[in-house]
Amino acid sequence: MKRRTLLGATISAAVLGLTFGLTSAATAQQPPIKIGMSMAQTGGLAGGGKASQLGIEIWRDDVNARGGLLGRKVELVVYDDKSSASETPAIYSKLLDVDKVDILFAPYATVPTAPLMPLVKQRGMLLMGNFSFQVNSKVGHDMWFNNAPWGPADSWAASFLELGQKAGGKTIALLAADQEFAQNLALTARDVAKKMNMQIVFDQAYPPNTVEFSSILRALKAAKPDIVYVASYPPDSAGILRAVNEIGIGNNVKIFGGGMVGLQFGAVMENLGSLLNGVVNYNTWLPEPSMQNEGTKAFFETYTKRAIEAKVDPLGYYLAPFGYASGQMIEQAIKAVGSLDQKALAKYLRENEHKTIVGPIAFAADGERKESATLQAQFRGVVDKNMDQFRKPGTQVILFPAKMKSGDLISPFEAARK
Amino acid sequence: MKRNGIFFWIGAAVFLIAIALMTKLITNEYPFFAGYVILQFIVLAVAWSILGGHAGYVNFGTSAFFGMGVYTAVFLFKVAGAPLLVQIAAAAAVGALMGFALGLLTLRMQGIFFSIATIALTIVIETSITNWRYVGGAAGIQLQRPPVTWPFSGYVQMLFFVQAVLVVLAVVVSRYIQNSWIGRGLQALRDDELAAECTGVPTLRLKVLACVVSGALMCAAGAPAAMYLQYADPSSAFNLNYSVSTLAMSLIGGTAHWAGPIVGAILLGTTQQLLTVTISSEVNVLVLGVMLVLFVVAAPEGLIGLLRRVRDKRKEGKQ
Repeated sequence: MKRRTLLGATISAAVLGLTFGLTSAATAQQPPIKIGMSMAQTGGLAGGGKASQLGIEIWRDDVNARGGLLGRKVELVVYDDKSSASETPAIYSKLLDVDKVDILFAPYATVPTAPLMPLVKQRGMLLMGNFSFQVNSKVGHDMWFNNAPWGPADSWAASFLELGQKAGGKTIALLAADQEFAQNLALTARDVAKKMNMQIVFDQAYPPNTVEFSSILRALKAAKPDIVYVASYPPDSAGILRAVNEIGIGNNVKIFGGGMVGLQFGAVMENLGSLLNGVVNYNTWLPEPSMQNEGTKAFFETYTKRAIEAKVDPLGYYLAPFGYASGQMIEQAIKAVGSLDQKALAKYLRENEHKTIVGPIAFAADGERKESATLQAQFRGVVDKNMDQFRKPGTQVILFPAKMKSGDLISPFEAARK
Repeated sequence: MKRNGIFFWIGAAVFLIAIALMTKLITNEYPFFAGYVILQFIVLAVAWSILGGHAGYVNFGTSAFFGMGVYTAVFLFKVAGAPLLVQIAAAAAVGALMGFALGLLTLRMQGIFFSIATIALTIVIETSITNWRYVGGAAGIQLQRPPVTWPFSGYVQMLFFVQAVLVVLAVVVSRYIQNSWIGRGLQALRDDELAAECTGVPTLRLKVLACVVSGALMCAAGAPAAMYLQYADPSSAFNLNYSVSTLAMSLIGGTAHWAGPIVGAILLGTTQQLLTVTISSEVNVLVLGVMLVLFVVAAPEGLIGLLRRVRDKRKEGKQ
């Protein structure tokens, strides 16, 4: 009898202990911090969207490996916006009202982000931007922070045109796709040209999906410009470079490129190969020594491995490290503030400089970068069909900004092509 | 017939009252954001089937009308800060005019040639808007909503209600057309235009009328989208997706009855919204594609056609 009582007592104590242990473990396990966003998984922006998302996912895994934020795990809630503006208001309303996320990240690119700005302003939510262009200029939301290195609206065109002017350029040809991003660039280029007293001798917009550029380029060549500023999208960028290769551009062109989207993606660069030589184009991150920061190397080691599985850009220089940087910034802000209070987080982000794998980031009042860190880099010595050459320094020499400069412009363009 | 009519009007009134109550009782904004899109597609599908279903003229230009509605609203808002109702009314007028022009096209074009012309219409209008800097051009334009009007608590709730009113309006028009001489005339010209003309059906007048009504409703459905998104850009406003989805909704629901497009739009629209926030990857496009193929194979006359077939078979069984 006694033995039975003892056994019973032991079992009940064990059960009690176990239950107690479980409940205390459950209370210790707080709900995760949810970060919500939409990201293009389908449609025209999907290639970039997926790479960007992988960058953010690598940060999530890193931060969770370090024990999370405020003792809570970090969880991402991601929906597909189909690269369209009409999907995002409903998605972000679901993120806020149903999923009750704690932090919002913006989708990749301008078009899906633009309809969100009034919504987040009205709800008083902080929004970490993701490579959109001047979406906050009219809305004026004071809790918007763009991770892209663009900086002031006109700095993009200004840096390229200044390089051209230094090389002795006086006249400009503008060639821009009739799409949102390219037209924004062309618009600022016209203003900057006026300020710099440079004459625009050719100004042409072409419809999206144009594949044949030889007639446009012949007309451009006839105008004999010194500087050719191109704002194009991936398929047209390839078409323009092929046409340049076939019919030439003339010996007076000092500098060519500027705003060609697509020349940042591994597959496009590998495909174009030696046609890229001499082109000066914008970029966001390049494997030059001046671009290495704390954590950059480790990030790209992980990215290169995971990119194969995720079937995204094998290089991932353009977007992925900036996705990671968004995470790093929010991590620093939450750690410093010690809560998820949106206003306090925004105040911290606005007032401090943040260390990231893409370099230090500081924001101006409009939530864009204080200083432009958009690179202008010249392709050098590129050979055909070789992806690995783009991983080495020297293939894309940084000409601007001065802080990160890794070489000087080779001019004229025809000489640089060889 | 008369009893049917009473039920219809009671149904419409109950629907509007339910929507109005929803805007008062539900505080969570997500149902309004998602529901608005579904209601918008109901209007588009019902409007599409006036021409596509009754007259058999397949219009691929839904996105042209929708986008034109968006940009009419954008233009009026920018030029004069016009209120929402004025934007919608003006869009309807513009849509009617566009429909009239499209109707004249049907003078010479039938079948696939008409459909191709409607695609061309989309491209022409999109290119024009893309090059019109005043309404933002290719770069798009951001709009700031004015304060919400009484009795609504939020702008989205108001847009949701307004779109519901447009649904009722579109259904009333579509039902009237089906049950009147217009619908019978359109049906006759769908089966054989020449024979209809010979028996005294004023085919041209009817076709133009169908185009005008359908165009006006589509444009009106597009107008509130400007304030819904607070942003407009040509590639989103004239997205071919509107044409394809509207066509699919009408076909899945069935074009033989005015209720068909409603059923199709609710089914497909809800599925699209659900897939966006559940599967949310390339797979959702695949799921929609498979659904379409299944419907085309299993129910070529749409859900309404399938229901009719089942009912007819049952009747035969009883006899």
